[in-house]
Amino acid sequence: MNSRLYNSPAGKVFDIFNYVMLGILGILTVLPFLYIIGNSFATEAEITERSFFLIPKVFSFSAYEYIFSSSTIFRSIGVSIFITVAGTLVNLFFTLTMAYPLSRSDFWGRNVMMNMVIFSMLFGGGMIPTYLVIRGLGLLDSYWALMLPGAISAFNLIVVKNFFQQMPPGLEEAARIDGCSDLGVLWRIVLPLSKPVIATFALFYAVGHWNNFFSALLYISDSDKWPLQVMLRQIVLLSQASVGDMANMDPNFVQPPEQSIKMAVIVVGTIPILLVYPFLQKHFAKGVMLGSIKG
Amino acid sequence: MGQKTGFKKGALLLSASLVLSTILGACSMDKAGSGTAAGGTDEITIMLPNFEAENPPENSPVIQKLEELTKVDVNLQWVPSSSYEDKFNITLASGKLPQIMVVLGKSPSFINAARTGAFWELGPYLKDYPNLSQMNEIITNNASIDGKTYGIYRARALGRNGVTIRKDWLENLGLEEPKTIDEFYNVLKAFTKDDPDGNGKDDTYGLVASKFTGPWDNMQVWFGAPNKWGDDGSGGLIPAHETPEYMEALKFFRQIYSEGLVNKDFAVMDATKLPDPFVNGQAGVMVDVADNAQRMDQKILDKDPNATGRVDVLQAMEGPKGLRDMPTSGYSGLIAISKSSVKTEEDLKKVLSFLDQLNEPELQALLYNGLEGKQYEKKEDYIVPSTEKLALRDLQGLNQILMFVPEDRTLRVQQTPVREKVAQVQKANEEIVIANPGEPLISDVYAQKGPQLDNIINDARIKYIVGQIDEKGFEDAVALWKNNGGDDYVKEVNELYAALK
Amino acid sequence: MMNGKTDWNTNTTATAQADMATRPMRRESNWKRQIKRNKWLYVLVLPGFLYFVIFKYLPMWGIVIAFQDYQPFLGIRESNWVGLENFTNFFSNPDFFRLLRNTLVLALYDLIFFFPAPIIIALLLNEIRVAFFKRTIQTLVYVPHFVSMVIIASITYVFLTPQGGVLYDLIAWITGKPIDVLSSPGSFRPLIIVQMMWKEMGWGTIIFLAALAGVDTEQYEASIVDGAGRLRRMWHITLPAIRTTIVILLILRLGNFLDTGFEQIYLMTNSLNRDVADVFDTYVYTVGITQGAFSYSTAVGLFKSVVGIILVLGSNKLAKKFGHPGIY
Repeated sequence: MNSRLYNSPAGKVFDIFNYVMLGILGILTVLPFLYIIGNSFATEAEITERSFFLIPKVFSFSAYEYIFSSSTIFRSIGVSIFITVAGTLVNLFFTLTMAYPLSRSDFWGRNVMMNMVIFSMLFGGGMIPTYLVIRGLGLLDSYWALMLPGAISAFNLIVVKNFFQQMPPGLEEAARIDGCSDLGVLWRIVLPLSKPVIATFALFYAVGHWNNFFSALLYISDSDKWPLQVMLRQIVLLSQASVGDMANMDPNFVQPPEQSIKMAVIVVGTIPILLVYPFLQKHFAKGVMLGSIKG
Repeated sequence: MGQKTGFKKGALLLSASLVLSTILGACSMDKAGSGTAAGGTDEITIMLPNFEAENPPENSPVIQKLEELTKVDVNLQWVPSSSYEDKFNITLASGKLPQIMVVLGKSPSFINAARTGAFWELGPYLKDYPNLSQMNEIITNNASIDGKTYGIYRARALGRNGVTIRKDWLENLGLEEPKTIDEFYNVLKAFTKDDPDGNGKDDTYGLVASKFTGPWDNMQVWFGAPNKWGDDGSGGLIPAHETPEYMEALKFFRQIYSEGLVNKDFAVMDATKLPDPFVNGQAGVMVDVADNAQRMDQKILDKDPNATGRVDVLQAMEGPKGLRDMPTSGYSGLIAISKSSVKTEEDLKKVLSFLDQLNEPELQALLYNGLEGKQYEKKEDYIVPSTEKLALRDLQGLNQILMFVPEDRTLRVQQTPVREKVAQVQKANEEIVIANPGEPLISDVYAQKGPQLDNIINDARIKYIVGQIDEKGFEDAVALWKNNGGDDYVKEVNELYAALK
Repeated sequence: MMNGKTDWNTNTTATAQADMATRPMRRESNWKRQIKRNKWLYVLVLPGFLYFVIFKYLPMWGIVIAFQDYQPFLGIRESNWVGLENFTNFFSNPDFFRLLRNTLVLALYDLIFFFPAPIIIALLLNEIRVAFFKRTIQTLVYVPHFVSMVIIASITYVFLTPQGGVLYDLIAWITGKPIDVLSSPGSFRPLIIVQMMWKEMGWGTIIFLAALAGVDTEQYEASIVDGAGRLRRMWHITLPAIRTTIVILLILRLGNFLDTGFEQIYLMTNSLNRDVADVFDTYVYTVGITQGAFSYSTAVGLFKSVVGIILVLGSNKLAKKFGHPGIY
């Protein structure tokens, strides 16, 4: 990096401007989450009294005590982790194996298949037919029902395919001349060079799995198999029921959980997945392509 | 060029897949139609919602006691409440219905399913059962479809609406409990202008309202407006917003808003935030369900345990047509019996007998309060519910199958003065509630355009209250309502009403 | 991409040329040979292909619901067929044009203001050289993506309420007269876009940052030697490198053109701004409650999909005309 150019007066001004703007942006965007974290450590009384605060006057761990006293929550966290990891591997397997052939211009049938993918992206049968198919396959109440129906996101597939297409064709030619089969090219050349792409979509799929509650609600009746988000949604929605709906809920019995518990559940449900990106960041390093081109 | 042939071939492939999928789809659509367990005498399957995040375990002592008392093997299919509607529809579509289903609302799919024979019509059978035969007539009517009873209603307090008010503010200002609308107005004014909390700051106001239209609906009835549909003088029905009393009420609302007696932001405030200004000492009055009073009282005590005696609850305010209160429909959902798994009349009678039993005092207490020593401790004449999570988990959600017919027979918790007053008010309200004659009517026009029509009037009402439009503007909205389907709606409702009489 | 030239025209030609080079000239009669040569590719594509057939195309018969009065209990076989009635109801609805207008305007605002935002942020982030700062901001910026819309709506209310909201008071103080952002029809759309940007902008940068990671640093070095300034470097190297990605995302975004984020709009709508707030999605939701969501929402969904696919295919063709690869 040639420092000469970055230190010109225009460059400096731009730099300062950039750092400040991005800094402010960072603060503004993280604010709501700090609010949630702050609220999760506050007492119910304070939450009612102060409409918005980041640091509670009185600290209370009761919300977290409540959550972690229940073994079902732990169990559901375990389920969520399992589904996220296993599900993402399934996603990557299906997506990458399909994206590569589609990126090859000498793949006969490519256009037909792309049409099929795009059409399916925009047209769908809906909840009930999909449910009936899952049921027909005997997948109800199994973890497969949470991993297979969303195995490929057409959007992700198309973008990954395009990233593959942008690879310099000379590379594959060279490998092929060296006697590499198609599988070999995929495994030894294309995938290693696509680390940023794979990391990105692993992240997207992982987040999708982690946040998904609807599939579990529909397909899984065994509450032992419920992921964290189902629990979370129940707790959060419970207190979201509008005052009018209160007439429908038994007035004396169902107590909406305290706001602080709601917030704590959100914190517990979100922090694990938030930490995935920082871990993956090393794969986004620049110049990953560099070495291979020279060779 | 490649694109075109690709496209044609793509179209071929597509159609082939579609044909294939249609065939396969039609096959998988085959509805077995058979229920779960055979017969239904010794085993009963119930589908019900759970509003908590955890289901009671199968070996819950409460469930075991239930089976012991009813001599039935009870199999509960729990569904998280947030997806109940979807699961319900999917179950209908799959054709495999459990014997008993909790129906959370008269959704179009339920109505259609009932009409096309999915559920037993229970009317003719109920007289044989000690509890079920005592079902409340108004509520049964409200819950009916085409005049027929397709499920046992789950009772809720009919006279549930009331006025929650800061008692200490009244005392500080030397005011009596308001009884009439005029007195109500004076109290709101005093709460806003006369510093009722005595802190020297101008930081209080009268009524707190939110986006939710409940308070306005409730107060309108005080003025003499009907509950959604009223008598048009010749045996037919007119909608509430066409009555002169409705406009009177609206003028009152507009006035109190313009004088600052209502929170400025009510039109945008989320309903869940409603309690906050009251608990925080900014607002002094809430018009909502009466039991909110005990909730507010509890919250105020949580903040400051010495703050007793702050909250009171009142019935409605007397208006030109006397004391009138807005009721709820009196029920929340039904318990329906599916024909596909309860096949004969004999089976039906056994299921009905089971349901009837659930209304006995012992069973009501079991499913609502739990087991003594586990979910509650018994004191003299009240109980203290346990706070132990594991114990409570054994009981959670079981109250969903309670019908409370003919009345609530569960055990009481310790009565605070506020709780007692709430019970009193709700009971007394039953004498003065104004029923909605249109409640049991199922209108096709409403199914098509209902929410839009409602929005026209509701939005106009809010705009009028905040002063964005004047009386002429409201009349224009009513005209729009009529043009966009309102007239058809009124006509249809009147036809349905006449047919049912 | 490989050589030192930074002119974006060359890039396209290089790709196109490479493409041509691997494509045999007599395509039609060579397909048998192609399949044989690439047989492993077909093995690779099989799992994905089966996935689409089973999980996407098999349930697709559900679309016929749009032409029925579908009732779950009756199922598709027994439900009444109503032909185009759901569609005519939808189009002849007196509110149709209002809904169309609202949906279109929001969709355009989204495209014009929201779509470029992540790109700009990604480009700015790319210029940061202090690695720690860059990574930190990158992480902070996408956090709102995980915060539920319900909470964001709640925070918005707290800040902007006329009853003591901090921002409300601030605006009143600055401009001299108070503006009720929450209820005023004129501020609804900007509010939605700003909320959306706040929430999703950071998340959107991830894809672009991944694309930027693939940019050849050699080109930067070369251009610096040539004396190119910051802006020129951005224009001639960085932007072209992610140009393909931008175009793809744009085309794909057009497929969902009429989708407007139901939850957000539902939460922010009230009696006073409903005139501009009601869109197709919220409308279908409210109607669905009384009418039974299925047939009607499937019909509206079908309408949106048809519009979407026309836009996708159309924009794809357009992109290709300009020499971009397009989505296929």
